[in-house]
Amino acid sequence: MTARKILLVDDSETILQMEQMILAKESYELLVARDGAEGLARALECNPDLILMDVVMPRMGGFEALRQLRGNQRTRTVPVVMVTTKAEAESIETGYASGCNDYIVKPIDSIELIAKVRDLLGD
Amino acid sequence: MHPSSKSISDRRASSPTDEASKRASAYLHPGQLFVSADSHAVTTILGSCVAVCLWDPVTRIGGINHFLLPTFSGAGIASPRFGNIAVKELLDQLAQLGGQKRNLLAKLFGGACVLEAFRQRQHHLGMQNIEVARELLQSESIPLVGHDVGGQRGRKLIFHTDDGAAWVKVL
Repeated sequence: MTARKILLVDDSETILQMEQMILAKESYELLVARDGAEGLARALECNPDLILMDVVMPRMGGFEALRQLRGNQRTRTVPVVMVTTKAEAESIETGYASGCNDYIVKPIDSIELIAKVRDLLGD
Repeated sequence: MHPSSKSISDRRASSPTDEASKRASAYLHPGQLFVSADSHAVTTILGSCVAVCLWDPVTRIGGINHFLLPTFSGAGIASPRFGNIAVKELLDQLAQLGGQKRNLLAKLFGGACVLEAFRQRQHHLGMQNIEVARELLQSESIPLVGHDVGGQRGRKLIFHTDDGAAWVKVL
């Protein structure tokens, strides 16, 4: 069975390493992008099964990347989890309004991350 | 905020703005809880997470939690991020403020499955969160007098700690 692909989009190397470390315990293929524009390009190129997306990033932020993903027929239905320090109501509302499927507030809790990833992948 | 035609519960028709302005406001982050003997309008945003709202209509003491995962199984830290811990801590803190358990009423919100492909799945995370909350309230013999759970969309919830009024905006 082909490993499912998860695209990790974050401009912080620390966060990317942490996500990779947590998800390495599961049998997923992990892809990486370091801003929203790269995330969008990688998503179109690799067809991930799930995307973990930061909000504040250079070049293109997570909300704009999410809107573009939802506006593209090829990525319209890919589950996207926003992973961010922006925990205030307005930011989370914007995330849901932009089409995200769930929200994780940093610092990342490994149990929460794995539970949400498994849930959104249907495991 | 608007009531929804798909409402199954406690969505209220009137705007909370005027009433909320008479109360102190608070924002509840995921994994936390809020309890007060004063009048507060507490806002939180729910996806697959669930919020249990409890209040004592006699003493007008109330509180709300916002949990992310159903049950603490012993791995990691036992925190209110888990339903069984969050409900117990909410009950404990209400009791410390003088809330009488025999008076408590409950409302339940959240537990959406925001992914179309898995909506038919019976045990998605949101559903597990709802089930845990219902079981815990039942085991504590606390009447559930309002709910807006499940569905496909996130929710913005405002809860009044003193009288149990609640509004939901579907996101």
